Amino acid sequence: MRALTLVLALSVACLAAATPAAAQEGHPLKGSWIGTWAGNHNQGNDLLLVLNWDGKNITGTINPGTDNIPIKNATLNPEGWVVRFEADAKDKAGKAITYVIEGKIGNLPLPNRTLTGTWKNQEEGGALKLSRQ
Amino acid sequence: MFAAALAAVLLAAVPLTAHHEILAKFDDHKPVTLNGVVTLVDWRNPHVHVFMNVANANGSVNWAIEAESPIDLQRNGWSRETLRPGDKIRVEGIAARNGSHQAWGNSIVIRATGRSVFTVSTAAPPLPLAARSTPRWPDRQPRLGAAAQGGAQGYWAYPSNTALADTGSPGSPAGSIAMDTWGLLRNLADAPKVAPMQPWAQALYIARQRRFLQDDPMFLNCKPPGGPRQFQLAYGVQFVEDRDRKRIFVLIGSGNNNFRIINTDGRGHTGQVGGDDENPLYYGRSVGKWEGDTLVVDTRGFNEDFWFTNGGLPHTDQLSLIERFSRPDFDTLKYDVTIEDAGAYTRPWSSSSTLRWVAGEEMPRHLCQDNRS
Repeated sequence: MRALTLVLALSVACLAAATPAAAQEGHPLKGSWIGTWAGNHNQGNDLLLVLNWDGKNITGTINPGTDNIPIKNATLNPEGWVVRFEADAKDKAGKAITYVIEGKIGNLPLPNRTLTGTWKNQEEGGALKLSRQ
Repeated sequence: MFAAALAAVLLAAVPLTAHHEILAKFDDHKPVTLNGVVTLVDWRNPHVHVFMNVANANGSVNWAIEAESPIDLQRNGWSRETLRPGDKIRVEGIAARNGSHQAWGNSIVIRATGRSVFTVSTAAPPLPLAARSTPRWPDRQPRLGAAAQGGAQGYWAYPSNTALADTGSPGSPAGSIAMDTWGLLRNLADAPKVAPMQPWAQALYIARQRRFLQDDPMFLNCKPPGGPRQFQLAYGVQFVEDRDRKRIFVLIGSGNNNFRIINTDGRGHTGQVGGDDENPLYYGRSVGKWEGDTLVVDTRGFNEDFWFTNGGLPHTDQLSLIERFSRPDFDTLKYDVTIEDAGAYTRPWSSSSTLRWVAGEEMPRHLCQDNRS
């Protein structure tokens, strides 16, 4: 699974390098994000995140196509552009874990804005770095 | 020579922006007065630049003075020959925010003659003494374009409002909001009055305002002025009514001379080639019908890659517009728009403006891409 995620991440990275980031002037979270959640021994370091905004709720999926982890309880506080969401998954032993991701949007006006912060679950945690594609 | 080259490098380092919010690049709290000698006049879109050597303690330094576009300067009688290398000039203006040797020239005076050059009038041409009646097709439907086939040229420009604000809702406070031509608020505390924004949208709007609209994708990346913005820009719009094919072309003078099609053949919004839910567009999908003397246009299917109004109000792909066009007299186009976007706003809201008929002229041909070589 980790290898698959890595291949997918590299593919997206190559695509992103070949084309300029698409402008997205709507909700700041909407779109595809790529980066790392360092030290994640269950899902691997590489992270893909696809987020959407329907006017009321932020929805999304972690590592679509490989892990397919839906996010839940997502919030964006425009005061400071603070993001928080959770996601239920399983560790390598099949035990239920819940990710809690907290971060802050940087470079807000730019298409390739960033999301940096932390991730954690019941077993481990680390730094989160994402940039919007 | 070195100074001129340095100034050119500095200029190249700043994103050149077509016909933009001046305060995005220049600081009106940094007035400058410069006396010097013209070294070069760079006559090109989106802005003419006058380079001048200004004496200082180390000899001289080359400044780049930004002026209006060639289109506006030519309309006001100026040419690339108005200033020549060697002319001694006095410039009063405002300096660049980034500290480089650039300034926006509020006033450029040839010192030998005292003649003020590169001045531009933005006033609309005077109206005829007597109001002229609405031009109509033989079936009495109002014409939105030129009054007759061939010969009679003209277009719509000089918008009464150049940025959206919620002026159409009962009790709306937007009428008292002060903003400049590009929608930059005089007082940021007025932001909540502009439109009924969701919290994220209001915060993003304020963030854009705080940066003096310098992230405007229309100028940074030549993104089209979709939505009501096409009716807010200096170079106006032209309506070409293709009655045989039941469609109206809206030709847009600013941006990249794009056009938009309003279908009046009764079709719906779905199933159109080039625009459906999977392919949202800069100008959306427009279907229109006449209600009396008013063309009512329903437009949906916008993408999120542009700003739909001067000033940087956000929108999402849920944006839909009901636009009402009417021509109460020959020289006036009334534009009323109702904005509905549950992704960014808490309720529908509306705004109105008018445009003036500019008779006897072709619409200016301004191409943002001219500056993107």
